[in-house]
Amino acid sequence: MDPLAELKQTFFQECEELLGALEQTLQALDEGSNDSEDVNAAFRAIHSIKGGAGAFGCTELVGFAHVFEAALDHLRSGRVAIDDAPFALFLRCSDAVADLVSAARNGEPATERPDLLAALEQVGKGPQADVPAPAAAPAPVTVAPAPAAPTPAPAPASDDAPLGIAALGGLIAMVEAKTGAAAASADDGWDDEPVAAPVAAAKPGRDVRLRIMPETDLFRRVIEPRVVLGSLPTEDIVSIRCDLSQVPPLESLDVSDCFMRFDVMLRTELSIEDLHGRFDFSLASEEFEVAFVEEGEEAAAEAPAEAAGAAPEVPSAVAADLSAILAKLGPASEPVVQPDIRPAAPVAAAPVAEPPAVRQAQRAPANEAAGRQRQAVSVRVDLDRIDKLMNLVGEIVITQSMLVECVRSLPYDVYAKTAEGIATLSRQTRELQDHVMAVRAQPVKAVFQRMPRLVRELAQALGKEVRLVLEGENTEVDKTIIEELADPLTHMIRNSMDHGVETPDERSEAGKPREGTIKLIAEHRAGRIVISVTDDGRGINRDRLLAKARSRGLVGADERLAPEEIDQLIFAAGLSTAEQVSDISGRGVGMDVVRRNVESLGGRISVDSEPGRGCKFTLALPLTLAVLEGMVIRCGDDRYVIPIASVIETQHLASTPIERLPFGQEVLRWRGEVTPLYRLGDVMGSTGQTHENIVIIAETERGNNVGIAVDEIVGQQQVVVKSLEANFGTVNGASAATILGDGLVALILDIDSMLRLAASGVRPNVSDIKNTLSDLKLAV
Amino acid sequence: MSLEFGEKHFSSAQPESAARRIVTFKVGDRTFGIDVGMVREIKGWQATTPLPHAAPHVRGVLNLRGVILAVYDLRTAIGLGVTDATATHVIVVVDVEDKTAGLLVDSVSDIVDVPVSAVRPVPDMERDEHGLIEGLVLLDSDIVALLDLAAVVRDGGGDVALKTARAA
Repeated sequence: MDPLAELKQTFFQECEELLGALEQTLQALDEGSNDSEDVNAAFRAIHSIKGGAGAFGCTELVGFAHVFEAALDHLRSGRVAIDDAPFALFLRCSDAVADLVSAARNGEPATERPDLLAALEQVGKGPQADVPAPAAAPAPVTVAPAPAAPTPAPAPASDDAPLGIAALGGLIAMVEAKTGAAAASADDGWDDEPVAAPVAAAKPGRDVRLRIMPETDLFRRVIEPRVVLGSLPTEDIVSIRCDLSQVPPLESLDVSDCFMRFDVMLRTELSIEDLHGRFDFSLASEEFEVAFVEEGEEAAAEAPAEAAGAAPEVPSAVAADLSAILAKLGPASEPVVQPDIRPAAPVAAAPVAEPPAVRQAQRAPANEAAGRQRQAVSVRVDLDRIDKLMNLVGEIVITQSMLVECVRSLPYDVYAKTAEGIATLSRQTRELQDHVMAVRAQPVKAVFQRMPRLVRELAQALGKEVRLVLEGENTEVDKTIIEELADPLTHMIRNSMDHGVETPDERSEAGKPREGTIKLIAEHRAGRIVISVTDDGRGINRDRLLAKARSRGLVGADERLAPEEIDQLIFAAGLSTAEQVSDISGRGVGMDVVRRNVESLGGRISVDSEPGRGCKFTLALPLTLAVLEGMVIRCGDDRYVIPIASVIETQHLASTPIERLPFGQEVLRWRGEVTPLYRLGDVMGSTGQTHENIVIIAETERGNNVGIAVDEIVGQQQVVVKSLEANFGTVNGASAATILGDGLVALILDIDSMLRLAASGVRPNVSDIKNTLSDLKLAV
Repeated sequence: MSLEFGEKHFSSAQPESAARRIVTFKVGDRTFGIDVGMVREIKGWQATTPLPHAAPHVRGVLNLRGVILAVYDLRTAIGLGVTDATATHVIVVVDVEDKTAGLLVDSVSDIVDVPVSAVRPVPDMERDEHGLIEGLVLLDSDIVALLDLAAVVRDGGGDVALKTARAA
């Protein structure tokens, strides 16, 4: 990948995080947080998006972000009170920005949102609201190097600064020469020789003093001083001085930090607002000051201009110092200094000129800045690499269990020592695995973040008022699960929005607040992640659901079901109780698909409903799909793995007599319940002689208990889950496979799938739906 | 049974020389062949884990350096019963469609270059019910049956296997 594309990729990744932050803070504000820090955070987020977008030439994005930012700025400056601000509009705008970002990312044409733009422009209509908005793609500004020409009409906007720069070669060369060779005589930290400006003294306009004090992260925002300075009209510049006093000593200098400050004298006809507008894209408003210059002050500023051209002097000791360091750095430092990538060259060279006194004085704040940066140290790693690491750890786990088996055959004296080593190895492997898993773990935020938008859009489409409350967004779970969460959650939220929450009028009539609430909560519980979606809507309409189930023949006309059982019918295929089939949900493919997907992940979904009060869907999933704790069992010649999570109890079959139901089904009495017994050898077609004298009581996904007769429990171990689908296909009765210590493959049993297999063996003609339902009834 | 000529095989085999390089292997006294490009590796027999209710020719799954793949018994596939696998038997690991699979055979014989024009259609009288044979190549010593690997593997997987088992 070429460096630019790579940078762009990073930008889009950052955009995603920024969009998340933007949405979150807007949401908080919408809910009345009234915190000015939230406003600032939102502003910073959109500002950074705009900055990056400008650097990568995403004009539509820049245009929209600019207007959005201007609107947010009214809040920041207090021109619009936070309480009065149209956060609903802002949230829709943040959705629009998300669309623009994804359009830019995929190289698709962006959808224009004139409606939103117009609405944004209305925000805080005041003296500042008419900042020239480059909503329409700004025309390239060619700044002709015509020194003596009269001041040109104010350029429309500065968002295309990178283009303007090309034409500003003279100025840039000058500024760079100046900053690069900053003279040592600057004992006040200021470079005392302003750049002589190519401007006639008698130029019309007013004198303006511009102080540019970029934050140290300027370069990381992909902005450099010449972009900033380049957005000023060349012919208006009287002088530019670079302040290097903030530059820390060389040894503590981070070349990716910007410590330059500029003092620019302008003689211009541009208004202050216009000048503000020019830095909009590159600088935050606290990073620069614009002020008219008083008569006397002006003269003082002009005076040193005479000294221009004095040869810069670098103290020889410092120069030697620098060359020694540069020699040490060698070619490795070169990429950093390449101006194409980062304009670090001037900064790198600058501190040399700094007098020791100033250096001492500035050390403290510089260290502070360095400290701040250290806190935020993190590395972006391609998920592929982590996956490979994870696979490798998986292999180690397998090899290690292989070793454990080898060691058993060693003579005793050797064995004792080796076993000790192996025990240590096991512990370390386990730890390694945990750490790699921790690296893969991600907060569910990644998925939760998408939900507010969904709710907003659905609320609008359905004419409902809904507040979404998120809790436990930082609950971490393996990325394999994160990827699988989005679909079920979307379905569950849709379902709550469509079927659960009533329209505002209905809610008022029922004596509820007009605004419905949906809570999305994630938490860790017993080695699983449990996510619940709770709404305060009308709950499941049991009469209608039952009637529907009867009309579909899913429930017999004379069958009586408990209320909770009726609720569970929502997961049966082909049932939807929406009066009208809508776009949102109601095709009846919702919840049964959700259940199937969740179950295929080894998870569980259930519903609790209280008519008139609301409904709660609970989703429980394993924390990872990559490894699982399993019980290794043997039946005949074959070994299998049962996920420990499914096992409730094991016992000798002799202690619990087998009884038969009228049609021959074997059952056990277990804790007073009639528990069906399946012989693993029969169900899975195990080879060899079986004597099945151990029974494992296992739990199905619906919470029923079954007994599974096996020959032997071999042990319990953590197994690495390997796909059977990748090179073969689905295997009935098994969810996946693993590799045991001796290198042989063992199937990981899926209790529910096994029961379906058993059922299909006994009654081959019964369709799947009927099976599902009979399982449901078993739950009684 | 009508004959389907796998044109893709012809075009994918080196067109300039118009020749196919074929790995030949034996099951009993019969010789089979597949394009060398489809062969990933050849390894000695290794015990497999049987799959429940799989098609009869699906011998089971094995672990090939951390990847799980299914092994198909070619002898069973052509209706000659189950191979009594020993250490001298061979698993030809092949890439077929987007999957990796193992083919259990008695032994690997040779690699031969065959002009495309030398590939003959299978005569109608040959009872190749599952369309496993894509063509015949006449060598001096032998008749090599070119396998359509996709067909060998096709009836093995997942739900299909269950149906097969139920029908049986």
